[in-house]
Amino acid sequence: MTNLFAANLIHTEPLWRAIDQPMALKVLVATVGVALIAWELWWFLGRHGGGVAARESAAGVQEITITVDGGYAPSRIQMKAGRPLRLSFHRIDPSGCVAQVIFPDFHKTLDLPLEATTSLELPPTEVGIYPFHCGMNMVRGVLEVVDRSAKS
Amino acid sequence: MNAPSPSPPCCHAEGPAASADGMERELARERTLLRRKVSVAAVLTVLVVLSSLPHMLGEGHHSFLPPWFTSPWTQLLLTTPVLFWCGRDFFSGALSAFRQHSADMNTLVAAGTGIAYLTSLFSTAFPQVLIAEGLPTDVYYETAAVILTLVLLGRLLEARARGQTSEAIRRLLQLQPPTARVLRQGEPVDVPVSMVVVGDLVQVRPGEKIPVDGDVIEGSSWVEESMLTGEPTPVAKAAGDAVIGASMNRSGSFTFRVSRVGGDTVLAQIVELVRQAQSSRTQVQRLADQVVGWFVPVVIALAIAAFVVWFLISGNAVLAMLFLVSVLVIACPCALGLATPTSIMVASGKGAENGLIFRSAEALETAGGLHTIVLDKTGTLTRGQPEVTDFERLPNGLLPAGTLLALTAALESRSEHPLAEAIVTYAQSQWKNHELPAVEGFEAVAGRGVQGSIGGQHVRVGTPRWLEELGIDSAALQPLVERLEAAACSVAAVVVDGRIEACFGVADPLKPTSAAAVAALRRLGLQVVMLSGDAQRTAEVVAAQVGIERVIAEVRPADKASMVKRLQEQGEGPVAMVGDGINDAPALAQADVGIAMGTGTDVAIAASDITLISGNLAGVPAAIELSRAAMANIRQNLFFAFAYNVAGIPIAAGLLFPLTGWLLSPMIAGAAMAFSSVSVVSNALRLRNFRPAPLPVAAS
Repeated sequence: MTNLFAANLIHTEPLWRAIDQPMALKVLVATVGVALIAWELWWFLGRHGGGVAARESAAGVQEITITVDGGYAPSRIQMKAGRPLRLSFHRIDPSGCVAQVIFPDFHKTLDLPLEATTSLELPPTEVGIYPFHCGMNMVRGVLEVVDRSAKS
Repeated sequence: MNAPSPSPPCCHAEGPAASADGMERELARERTLLRRKVSVAAVLTVLVVLSSLPHMLGEGHHSFLPPWFTSPWTQLLLTTPVLFWCGRDFFSGALSAFRQHSADMNTLVAAGTGIAYLTSLFSTAFPQVLIAEGLPTDVYYETAAVILTLVLLGRLLEARARGQTSEAIRRLLQLQPPTARVLRQGEPVDVPVSMVVVGDLVQVRPGEKIPVDGDVIEGSSWVEESMLTGEPTPVAKAAGDAVIGASMNRSGSFTFRVSRVGGDTVLAQIVELVRQAQSSRTQVQRLADQVVGWFVPVVIALAIAAFVVWFLISGNAVLAMLFLVSVLVIACPCALGLATPTSIMVASGKGAENGLIFRSAEALETAGGLHTIVLDKTGTLTRGQPEVTDFERLPNGLLPAGTLLALTAALESRSEHPLAEAIVTYAQSQWKNHELPAVEGFEAVAGRGVQGSIGGQHVRVGTPRWLEELGIDSAALQPLVERLEAAACSVAAVVVDGRIEACFGVADPLKPTSAAAVAALRRLGLQVVMLSGDAQRTAEVVAAQVGIERVIAEVRPADKASMVKRLQEQGEGPVAMVGDGINDAPALAQADVGIAMGTGTDVAIAASDITLISGNLAGVPAAIELSRAAMANIRQNLFFAFAYNVAGIPIAAGLLFPLTGWLLSPMIAGAAMAFSSVSVVSNALRLRNFRPAPLPVAAS
């Protein structure tokens, strides 16, 4: 049983005694551990899919709806350069952290009421990567503005 | 029935307060729910800790608690609601984030407490398995419950503190009164501010707030604008003067015509600019952003590594699990994420309270590191309203004074230069009731003067330097020029058919705070440079009056930007330019920080990084002080957040255990995590106490 105070947790307590484990178990634990680390890093930091392209309306405005639920779905949005973009955020996550979405490159903050869809219009933009994130900078997404001619 | 006809809906505009209301309500609701969860979690956690006391104190202690209360099943019963009702958001948030391939604070809390809970559950349900393996059958419910309660409490404190960071905007929004007394068919009617339209006539009585922006048409009063401009003294208002919505009328009554409503008002523009600044990020934040991006996955990797290493060393899976949980719950990505934005939020709000509008976080960042500050003379150091102080005919002049004044007034009335306006006003006051003669072939030579033909005579009004360039003999003018320039006057000579006839001395009085503001800038260690279109001598005299040693004179308006560029190229460090937003726009844009002197009604000056709403130069040292305070605060926050994680994670992973026997309880780790982000936000809130240093008494 742990104690509340660090100073009491010394190795004299029975919990901290060493236990002889078979080598096979040690190897197994080490292998599973390393595999778990590799998988976890790939899952969270690896690139999954190339992003979702915004669809274009008849008026020439690119539109996309993003669901806010623990993260942004989709979180990587592709859009064409030089055309306006309308982003609609539908927030279903009650956490206060995601109640705001910030676009630092556009100096824009959008309040996202719960269980509602809130839209933001962004002006035509040059090619580049424009990140956006929640008020606490934990939940993040990215606008990938690509060359009009490069993407059909 | 004749109902009063409402104004056309197309012209209505929601007040700036309306959009913020819904969000406020949601935040308040969230805080109430969070408070309830913290209370429930606290009660249950105290019971779980009590229940686990006999185990904690060891076998030898006499227990006064009944055995059923100290049973692991009771602890399981008490802990389950703490984790899965009070802490439900952590688990659902972590799961949603996981599906999106992202990991955050919720992931760490859910994984840490979840592992402690599941291990205990196994131990409770299958103790015989552990006994057979020679492992203790201990449970860690109290660890999971204590961590979760502390993190929830931390989240509540943080939510409260974060609410205070945007207090400045909320206070600004609350400045606008809900109704206005509008004259409808000559009768005053109280209508909601959102129904007021441009062109309405609004009455304001003593002690009332002015609801929207407009121009006074009748009556007079003193109006307190400090809440918007930072200017402490009330301003006199009479017919023709502009009034700002949300300012406070003092003693008189007046009627004004509405000029701006809704999102166009000065108040709405200030709120929008502050929000924009709060949405931008500093260079230093980019570093924190990069770290936050890979922080949580790396912490999870470290936690697994700690488990594996301790299992290999000790063979004790329970011990290894405790290290794993400690690492997960001590890491605090929130402290890193919040370090910069909270300080920027409080500082930009504090700026708005003092009439200093920062357009971006980067402006706030750069202003703190300025080395050189360039002040435009006219309108910045001086009032920008020049007056003729001298009119002198030359001894060898041929034309009478009246004719010269008429010719000059006729020519200068075609010019838009501020000096021309002063000369025309003077000439007309001296030479009343006469029609101005017609001018042919009028030409304005930038930075030099004006010329044209009047009644067959060629007339020039311009600087002595221009006359020299034209090769006109100005020897007779020299003594006059020297005397006037020594008195800080600009000189405009009148030349008729190539002969100098007279000259004007025009002076622009200094603003009362200029000298003190320059002294304050020097006290801040800045090199102060004055930029002026005046002759070198005139500029030097003005500079000496305000205590500036370095003067760049005879600069044409178009050359101001290149002068700023030259200073930047000469390695004068980051250079700020202070000037008006219109004539100096290119120079403001060229400078590292462009500071525009506002007029009280013009807030969104495009070329500027910082706008001083009141146009008082004392705002410049105040802005720089605020910027330095904000940057120091950000550095403290980042240092704390980085140092906390860099030191905390290795200790939690048991790095010090072999050397010192120190081991961090997961519960202490959870407490440390909960309070690290609270302390970052609390430190940012210290900026609310910022007060600009009082201006020094300038030696003049």
